[in-house]
Amino acid sequence: MRRLAALCLALLPSLVSAGVDEAVTDVILPAHARFASETADLAAAAEADCTPEALKGPWNDAFDAWLGVAHLRLGPIEEEGRGLAISFWPDARGMMPRSLAGMIAEEDAIVDRPDEFGQVSVAARGLFALEQLLYEPDFSGYASGSYTCRLATAIAADLARMAGEIEAGWTDGFAAALTDPGGSPYLTDREALQALYTALATGLEYNQDQRLGRPLGTLDRPRPTRAEAWRSERSVRNVVLSLTALEDLAEALANTPIPETTDAFGGAIARAEALDDPALAGVEDPAGRFRIEALQTDLGALRRTLDTELGTALGVSAGFNSMDGD
Amino acid sequence: MTTRRTFMASLLAAAAAPKLTWAEAGSPAYLGAAREADGGFALFGLSAEGADLFRVPLPGRGHAAAAHPVRPEAVAFARRPGTFALVIDCARGRLAARLDAPEGRHFYGHGAFLHGGEVLATTENHIESGEGRIGFWAASEGYARIGEVASGGIGPHEVRTMPDDRTLAVANGGILTRPETGRDKLNIPQMAPNLAYAGEGGVQETVSLDPDLHLDSIRHLAVSAEGRVAFAMQWQGEAMDGVPLLGLHLRGEAPQLLEAGFAEQVAMEGYAGSVAISGDRVAITSPRGGRVHVFGLDGALAGILRRSDVCGIAPAAGGFVASDGLGGLLSLDAAAAVRPLAHAARSWDNHLVALG
Repeated sequence: MRRLAALCLALLPSLVSAGVDEAVTDVILPAHARFASETADLAAAAEADCTPEALKGPWNDAFDAWLGVAHLRLGPIEEEGRGLAISFWPDARGMMPRSLAGMIAEEDAIVDRPDEFGQVSVAARGLFALEQLLYEPDFSGYASGSYTCRLATAIAADLARMAGEIEAGWTDGFAAALTDPGGSPYLTDREALQALYTALATGLEYNQDQRLGRPLGTLDRPRPTRAEAWRSERSVRNVVLSLTALEDLAEALANTPIPETTDAFGGAIARAEALDDPALAGVEDPAGRFRIEALQTDLGALRRTLDTELGTALGVSAGFNSMDGD
Repeated sequence: MTTRRTFMASLLAAAAAPKLTWAEAGSPAYLGAAREADGGFALFGLSAEGADLFRVPLPGRGHAAAAHPVRPEAVAFARRPGTFALVIDCARGRLAARLDAPEGRHFYGHGAFLHGGEVLATTENHIESGEGRIGFWAASEGYARIGEVASGGIGPHEVRTMPDDRTLAVANGGILTRPETGRDKLNIPQMAPNLAYAGEGGVQETVSLDPDLHLDSIRHLAVSAEGRVAFAMQWQGEAMDGVPLLGLHLRGEAPQLLEAGFAEQVAMEGYAGSVAISGDRVAITSPRGGRVHVFGLDGALAGILRRSDVCGIAPAAGGFVASDGLGGLLSLDAAAAVRPLAHAARSWDNHLVALG
């Protein structure tokens, strides 16, 4: 075992840089290009027809694309609060419906000034603001030409702007900061690898603790309306697409077969697809709850498998201070 | 009969035979504890430019170190809830004394020197009542226990010396823990943190925030030469609440809270790990959010640095030095612009301690 570890360490430099290059070039950059393209399509669709029936399709496509990048909380997405503005969730205090209702009541004219819309509160922007307008009965009865329709158009344009800025940030420098480190924010190849591995591990934890854990709540108090995107019944789809993207990232980072991790991803994705409970409403009945908890358990096992098979081989682990504060 | 006290005194007398100063330990600017590449732990003395000046192995992961103001001695605390602390002779690279928490007490992981280094103050839990205590130890008597006072709250964490060298600022975090349940937090709904000022006679003043912020655990402190106290907090609610994590206080005045805008507050994940004051700037770190926020003492945001697992921070000429779990030591200017100082195959632990 010790000799094996020593061998892995000796192989480390080539393994490390190759995996980061593959992850950036083959997985991360295409995923950002897709998110930029789908949000641009959404914005164009809204310009043509901003009613809910016209926007639901392009909005779902944009949300699908978001799940390819949502876990990559590094670089341009971390600037100017973009990540939070795109995905304002969880909203435990109900800030989003209040913010949207306030803008609609006041008919805030900022919707007609696209250059300024980025100054609007993050609680009235992004994918979840559009979900409210398109799916929440308090908002979704709006007609073409109404203020709410203009608000939906402005939110779609703002999403496309942010997605375009994030993609540009990656292609104009951040991708190179990872693949050819040596300054800020990554001093070494190892730090770049660590950053991507942390995004991978944190993304898995997010599915387990947030996307599944929040609606599960406690046995005495399940919380189905705490599921992510329950109004649009995307909660399970989000988990499946997120796991698919995380698997792509893991395989690219490994740059060598990781059969146990591949199996674990496959098992978890199959179990999620078999739930037949798109909004995770089953947290409220015993059988449904049991199956959702089994998926959550799968994700915990998947994290340990990943840590053993990939993290150990790469010589990286989750954060020393971030995981054990005081 | 050799009592524990006389034994400790003789041990220290042997260690301190010729009077040594920090110059004999290479005049470090900072102390930092780290996990090394082989999995072991050590305390390092560092120059202002981040170079290693000395290395002393530690028996396990430590928490903060308190540096004696004159003698080259560092007090390294076991991690919470530890019952011992080690006084390390940094010039000779060996153990000089060991502090054991009195029966029914444990340490919370921080300490500070008073009276020119004559007295060490430590934050402690009186386990039976759950009330915080400040313990006092006589440095020149082999760190004999000489007394204690109430800390003015539950769960005192960091303690710092005020400029008068007589008074302590104490961060009463408000969170009740018990040794048998480890770090489980037992009183979140009722927690009531405060910033207290205490001397050897006890607590003189306590400062609390608005009741809406009673879940904001006041845990780490920095003190300016003028006696302005910066307090860093850890929010026990949802990260998405985006609450303030840094405050400033001057005795006799109302506390002032500092924020970097809602999205940045959310990005800190409700967690500030360390705080430092340098000139007219104050900085907090969040290893969870991978960020350093630098503010002016007037409350205005001066700059943001994004850096994974960053936690230790200490004042430097013109700004700060930060340390992280990836082995980096970074120089930050007054606007958080970064310059790498050093990089080693080790993980720097939560705090970086400035000397002098």
